[in-house]
Amino acid sequence: MADGMVRVARRIAHGCLLLLGVSALSFALLSLSPGNFFDELRLNPQISPDTVSALRAQYGMDHPWPVRYVRWIASGFRGDFGYSLSYNCPVGTLLWPRARNTLLLTALSTLLAWMIALPFGVFEALQRGKWRGRVGSILTATLLGIPELLLALLFLLLAAKTRWLPTGGMTSPDVADAGLLGLSRDFASHLVLPMVVLALGAMPLLTRYIRSAMVTVLDSPFIESARGHGIAHSRILYKYALPAAANSLISLLGFSIGALLSTSLLVEVVLSWPGLGPLVLEALLARDIYVVMAVVMLSSVFLVLGNLIADLLLYWSDPRIRTV
Amino acid sequence: MGVRNAAGKIRRGADVINAVAFRNAQRFALALSVLFACGAARAQEYSTVSGDPGETGGKLVVALRSEPKTLNPILSVDATSREVIGALNADLVHINRETQRTEPGLAKTWNVSPDGRKYVLYLRRGLKFSDGAPFNADDVVFSFGLYLDESLHSPQRDLLVLDDKPIIVKKLDDYTVEFDLAKPYGPAERLFDGLAMLPRHLLEKSYKEGKLAQTWGTNTPPEEFAGLGAFKLKSYAPGQRLVLERNPNYWKKGQRGNQLPYLAELAFVFVPNEDAQVIKFQAGETQLLERANADNFAVLQKDAAAKGHCLVDLGPGLEFQFLLFNMNSLEPTKSRDLISKQSWFRDLRFRQAVSLVMDRKGMARLVYGGRATPIWGNVTPGNKLWLNTNLPHPERSLEEARKTLQSAGFSWNSAGALLDPQKKAVSFTILVSSSNAQRSKLATLAQDDLKQLGMDVQVVPMEFRALVDRVLNTKDYEAVLMNLVNGDVDPTPEMNLWLSSGETHLWDLGEKKPTTPWETELDHLMETQMTTADPAARKKLYDRVQEIVSQNLPFVFLVSPNILVGAQASVGNFRPAILEPYVLWNADQLFLRQGGTAKCR
Amino acid sequence: MNYRRRTLVLILLLAALHLPILVPGFVAPYDYAQQNRELPFAPPNRLHFIDEGGTFHFRPFAYAWQQRADGSGDSYEEDRTHTYPLHLFVQGSPYSILGPWTVRLHLFGVQAPGQLFLVGTDDFGRDQFSRILYGGRISLFAGLLGTSLALFVGVLLGLISGYYGKWMDAVIMRFAELFLALPWLYLLFAVRAVLPLRIKTTEAFLLLVGVVGFVGWAKPARLVRGIVLSAKERTFALAAKAMGASDAHILRRHILPQTYGIILTTAALLVPQFILAEVTLSFLGLGVGEPMPSLGNLLGELQKYRVLTSYWWMYAPAVVLIVLFLAYQWASAMLQEKFAEVQM
Repeated sequence: MADGMVRVARRIAHGCLLLLGVSALSFALLSLSPGNFFDELRLNPQISPDTVSALRAQYGMDHPWPVRYVRWIASGFRGDFGYSLSYNCPVGTLLWPRARNTLLLTALSTLLAWMIALPFGVFEALQRGKWRGRVGSILTATLLGIPELLLALLFLLLAAKTRWLPTGGMTSPDVADAGLLGLSRDFASHLVLPMVVLALGAMPLLTRYIRSAMVTVLDSPFIESARGHGIAHSRILYKYALPAAANSLISLLGFSIGALLSTSLLVEVVLSWPGLGPLVLEALLARDIYVVMAVVMLSSVFLVLGNLIADLLLYWSDPRIRTV
Repeated sequence: MGVRNAAGKIRRGADVINAVAFRNAQRFALALSVLFACGAARAQEYSTVSGDPGETGGKLVVALRSEPKTLNPILSVDATSREVIGALNADLVHINRETQRTEPGLAKTWNVSPDGRKYVLYLRRGLKFSDGAPFNADDVVFSFGLYLDESLHSPQRDLLVLDDKPIIVKKLDDYTVEFDLAKPYGPAERLFDGLAMLPRHLLEKSYKEGKLAQTWGTNTPPEEFAGLGAFKLKSYAPGQRLVLERNPNYWKKGQRGNQLPYLAELAFVFVPNEDAQVIKFQAGETQLLERANADNFAVLQKDAAAKGHCLVDLGPGLEFQFLLFNMNSLEPTKSRDLISKQSWFRDLRFRQAVSLVMDRKGMARLVYGGRATPIWGNVTPGNKLWLNTNLPHPERSLEEARKTLQSAGFSWNSAGALLDPQKKAVSFTILVSSSNAQRSKLATLAQDDLKQLGMDVQVVPMEFRALVDRVLNTKDYEAVLMNLVNGDVDPTPEMNLWLSSGETHLWDLGEKKPTTPWETELDHLMETQMTTADPAARKKLYDRVQEIVSQNLPFVFLVSPNILVGAQASVGNFRPAILEPYVLWNADQLFLRQGGTAKCR
Repeated sequence: MNYRRRTLVLILLLAALHLPILVPGFVAPYDYAQQNRELPFAPPNRLHFIDEGGTFHFRPFAYAWQQRADGSGDSYEEDRTHTYPLHLFVQGSPYSILGPWTVRLHLFGVQAPGQLFLVGTDDFGRDQFSRILYGGRISLFAGLLGTSLALFVGVLLGLISGYYGKWMDAVIMRFAELFLALPWLYLLFAVRAVLPLRIKTTEAFLLLVGVVGFVGWAKPARLVRGIVLSAKERTFALAAKAMGASDAHILRRHILPQTYGIILTTAALLVPQFILAEVTLSFLGLGVGEPMPSLGNLLGELQKYRVLTSYWWMYAPAVVLIVLFLAYQWASAMLQEKFAEVQM
């Protein structure tokens, strides 16, 4: 037990070091790529360059990037994650409500994707070689071939034409006076479209990986012998095959968790979901450096978390891996 | 009769007395209020608008591409913020977007001194901010103090500084303000447009504490705002919507005397994707479409009549798209290749040939579905007041282009490739911003056109900021296809484009002095028109500017996209204009027709 | 269908998909950049066998498109006054096979001024069929390049990390997390910015894909490492070790085969991801530049509302992609079967 705790503690320490490294490298990359936030102002003939330089100085942007980086880290410890150049307000106030919305969406859609992909992948593995398996393959190939943006647009069109679902956004304007039930119903109806689009986008990859993992296991001798012993198919599947395949599945789960903040960016933009997507896209293109840094750091935290959880689950679940 | 009964009788008696007193008090209060109302109505000097009379009430929803970044007029730069701020605030003198001329705003009248340097503005009396506080000259002086304060770095400040001297604002009395300019300024009246008058009683404290830059962000609670605009802030949900409600103290009236705005609520929803905006409009979730691209406009047109949409093609706005060739004086350390290519770019005949071979009609037709206007100068037909209508519009001609190149010493080899007088093959790159799909397409068409002259041209898409960095900072480019938008119909806002010392004198940045005779003349003309008061004289000067520009081609002008807007037929007083904000400039007059068959104008 | 037959069908399918893409100039009737400004968004030409007079021809022919007089500019009707028969092995626009050698022979075509747009035209009147062929070439190449780089580095590091364990595992995995977390977009911007302007956009694009591929080693590495961690404790591996086999031998003969499954699956999934990534790269100015087509930027056209709802032939690149992905998936599955047999 204590051994496990030590391992976890060590991983957390590694994680912090990693975050530091990520922050330094990202900051460097962001600062070294050409263009900066104020160039657009300079293109406006009505604003004098003195004003632009004064603004730059005000935000501390005329210092070299290592100096700014150190200052940013220092202020981070005080809870101040920098200032948005576009919005003129602390990054934190911009981030938290939107991060919450994104997490809500991605958590639910990842759950949905796994709920579909797991049985589907197993099904494809069991039915491989037969026509049902082929149809499944065609379906996943089709979904894979449609870019997420296109999928989002098609669903949006569907929603608009049929009026079954709202066309984007997270809440209806007049929902404030609807009571708890009305609120949750409204929220659910807005959630359906982006959730389905994201799940459909993630599903084919997951399905293929799961299928592949299952196929490897199903072809192995111990399963053959179990069948030979006359054990029922369902028991073989649940008690022997799935646990053996868990190794790859857990790594995949780690990725799913790690990607919680980043998968939905494009879909959020198309379906106007008030998450990090539209914010980050604009900030990226406008070189609003501290907003981008904050989102990168947040995503890294999730990545580290996801990998940590995956590793721990791996050691715990697969008895073939001795403690290293 | 016990105490109780006695008390009861007294109470009943008291009741009677109370009742009588109450009724008298009521009558008295009524009388007072009538007097007060009449007095107030007389005291508040309304402005009456000319639009159709409408019905009060209703909620209008508009989709915005991005969120407003701030609601602080001192700091706002981006168009979305300015749009929302415009609905919440009012200015002293306003530019009517439809007529493109100035009209009285918070100032009901003004006069100018004979030397054109002193403006005295007379404010309307009895006006109140949306929170009920009175508006007077103190607020005006305070607001201008903020705009001019150097420590705040307001982008609006530079407009108010002439010859390095800021405008001087003096209060003459509670309703009169005097503005002193360093020198006579032709478009002085237009300066006031967009400069919101701010409430001193709310902002003075944070200003004195040095915290003004942090006030009035989008997260500020509605109670902390007050403005003189048609609407006031009701609620803001980050990432989703911003809702405004009617300002009960608004100082404009409709034709039938009812107080504006007609609308009870104006809501902005944030829809970052252009196609999603169109889909929402089609579904009836939004009532106005602020700007559609040509493709979506064509889709909407198919069933516009059946669905009750009014789609309007306003013609070209103030945007002009052009090819820019690098004619900067570069240090010899820069690429020798680029410097040798500049010998082509600097040759006027080369640029003329390029201009002659551009298929402007094809560009308008293929990229914009016909909804764009070919241009040969920087002023588009949308600018009714300033366009020089006598400029030539040469037709596209491959032979003319070839002849022009030949006269400049160019020739063609056996494979058809163009060679310069030193027998070097003509090839260069055109940079274009990757985020604008239509401009990339223009570049492809331009490339194909230039191929017919034997030029080997490559289109290089580049992210917008990287492109701007090259144009403004490193000057490391050969040709760029880009656009500029004039801020106003008046030519003065683009001084920095035409002045040799100007910071956006794109084709030859960084020079303090003009390098060619025509640039000398341009400098002189622009500076003269800025200080001339007579509009006719200014027009003549600017006509000559347009003539010089179209003859000497610092830019090869291509097309100007038309402004395409739409509204549901139920929206009354929908009168879009080519100046921003295209559909909401008269938001105070918009109304929703209840029932009945609505028809588009 | 038995295994042999299935393999044959798959190989034929892959050949049919890849060969035209290898020599697009021959199969495509037109050059990818050739514009027909009078024919934007023209629908596919129909091939007829019976002409206006009722005569049957063995050689199919097409009519030219002309704009409808009343139309909004993109509605067309067939001009029945001239027939343009289809010929094989015709002379057309020149294209290069290898370097400076140009050839003019095309597989099929019709005589000018007729046109044969098998899959219609795009907004500049360029033949979509030709563009899909040329686009397929560069997209496939980009997909394969990115995938190979990601897998090569990823599998190598995953093997080392999983097998040697302890601190090497920790170091490599932390680096993997670093690579997964960094915003590579800015690296791509920076790389693009320092490249000389004159570099051909296709070369720049491939360089960027190479960068993306190279930094994409982290995910396969993690997946492989998971398998290796488990495989190295299996009895056969332990036995080999006890018998004195070298690390390299164990890795190559015993551990690596265990990872084939995941490698093949990842390969079949990475190729489409790289091809589709070009759509996002184009949006940010890092993709293949006009007028060069790629399956990614052809799909980008489809993402416009108007195109999506009005011009059905523009869906063709999506169909081609789906068939391509299916073929790769199928190949990957078959190879997995083969290796599963082998290791048992």
